[in-house]
Amino acid sequence: MVIVEIPIGPQHPALHEPIMLRVRTEGEEVVEVAVNTGYNHRGIEKLLEKNSWIRGMYIAGRVCGICNAVHIQAYVQGVEKLMGVEPLPRANYIRTIVMELERIHSHMLISAVMAEIIGFDTLFMLLMRDRERIMYLKELVTGSRVHADIHTVGGVKRDLDEVRRDKILSELEKVEERLKYYKNVYENDYTIVKRLSEVGTISKSNALKMSVVGPTLRGSGVRSDVRSDDPYAAYPEISFNVVVRDEGDSWARMIVRLEEALESVNIIRHAIESLPQGPAIPKTIPRSAKPGEAISRVEAPRGELIYHLVSVGGPNPYRVKIRTPSFMNILNTDSVYLGHRLADVPVIFASYDPCISCTERVVVIDEKTGEKTYMNLRELARVESR
Amino acid sequence: MSLLLGDVRFEEVSPRRFVATVTKHELRKTVEVVVKEDSYLSTITAVDIPKDGKIELNYIFWSVKYKAAIVVKVLVDRSDPVVPSISDIVRGAVGSEVEVYDLMGVIFQENGRLRRGFLAPEDIVAREIYPLRKDSGV
Repeated sequence: MVIVEIPIGPQHPALHEPIMLRVRTEGEEVVEVAVNTGYNHRGIEKLLEKNSWIRGMYIAGRVCGICNAVHIQAYVQGVEKLMGVEPLPRANYIRTIVMELERIHSHMLISAVMAEIIGFDTLFMLLMRDRERIMYLKELVTGSRVHADIHTVGGVKRDLDEVRRDKILSELEKVEERLKYYKNVYENDYTIVKRLSEVGTISKSNALKMSVVGPTLRGSGVRSDVRSDDPYAAYPEISFNVVVRDEGDSWARMIVRLEEALESVNIIRHAIESLPQGPAIPKTIPRSAKPGEAISRVEAPRGELIYHLVSVGGPNPYRVKIRTPSFMNILNTDSVYLGHRLADVPVIFASYDPCISCTERVVVIDEKTGEKTYMNLRELARVESR
Repeated sequence: MSLLLGDVRFEEVSPRRFVATVTKHELRKTVEVVVKEDSYLSTITAVDIPKDGKIELNYIFWSVKYKAAIVVKVLVDRSDPVVPSISDIVRGAVGSEVEVYDLMGVIFQENGRLRRGFLAPEDIVAREIYPLRKDSGV
């Protein structure tokens, strides 16, 4: 009998707390999953308390590398509420364009990672190649391919001109075609469907009890999307479909993401075509907020992101609470792995779109000899076939 | 606008944000009613208010049915910060409760997974301080 211990983590760039998932298996069957944390708590909430509202924008944007624009959006819209500032209409549209670009590249990234984990390296390469088009567009709009940092209180820092708008539209056409192709691959490829279907199933009622969010929740048949239920930025004026699947398994979560990426293409097109006239860059930025509190929610690519801001007046926040979607999706789903095959663990884990780096190291211990073998997640996913 | 769930009235403080303050003895009963409205727990925010000698706990739920955030506020004494756990009602509360315990020092009775160092680094744990408290010196 082989006892396998899989430490996933602990370095974690997206959450403000790094996490390690310790999976123990008996033979092929997962018998226990424990969550270890606390390796490198960055103390961002405390840091935000010690800085001004304005400096906080730059801190909030650095909570996550992949979904940084949604973090600033969540922070800034809370600050705007506390300062009594109404964002400029044109800026709201530009913010929406940047956030949707982010959603497309984030969903493409996890689709690529999933493909790699299940041994589909060509699909990984192709997805990453096409994702680069979106990274280029993000750079075109914001000036940086990773950290957007385009938000400011009351508006954005850069306007969007005619030339850039045309470029976005023409690039999106190419990306849309590719996304349709990848959706077709995920829906119809025999190996992918076999590998993801009925793996890591979460029922509708369990999804709510576990408080999972985003595509994980919608993949379990719950129609909940912050963009439509609690609209912000330009979403109140843009109609789009909330993608929901009833299957609740890893496959459903991936399909939700790919369909959502296609919806995002339409949202960006609509936002560009109906971009309001007028200024997007605010002339003055207030420095202090009124006493009160704001619960600011946005739909990050991984799900509902919450900033709870508490102000007692003045230039500094009194308390800032950040809850990232992966915190819920990873911490509360440890029971989903139980009873599954060892090789399904990476698949289930990736299907939550976890924002964790350093997930590569896996130790396989032969109980008889005590011999340890190190392998990465991709090799682990193929253990079953050996 | 207000929302009556069980015998607790939630006032709408801003669009789609309903808030009610309950005592810690009413907390579990209130949460049981809230989760029946297709709600999931978004997070628990703890706010330290040393001048009143209190810690304010905000249980933020999102109700898929009402499309609104339902916030249950509970004030606990800073000197004796103990509240009943809701993790047996909402499984998703486990992580949030452990986080609040580790960083703010609120004890959630019956949550067996509370431990220091869940998020806080070793040196902070060794000094036996709760870093998000205003007087922690962090």
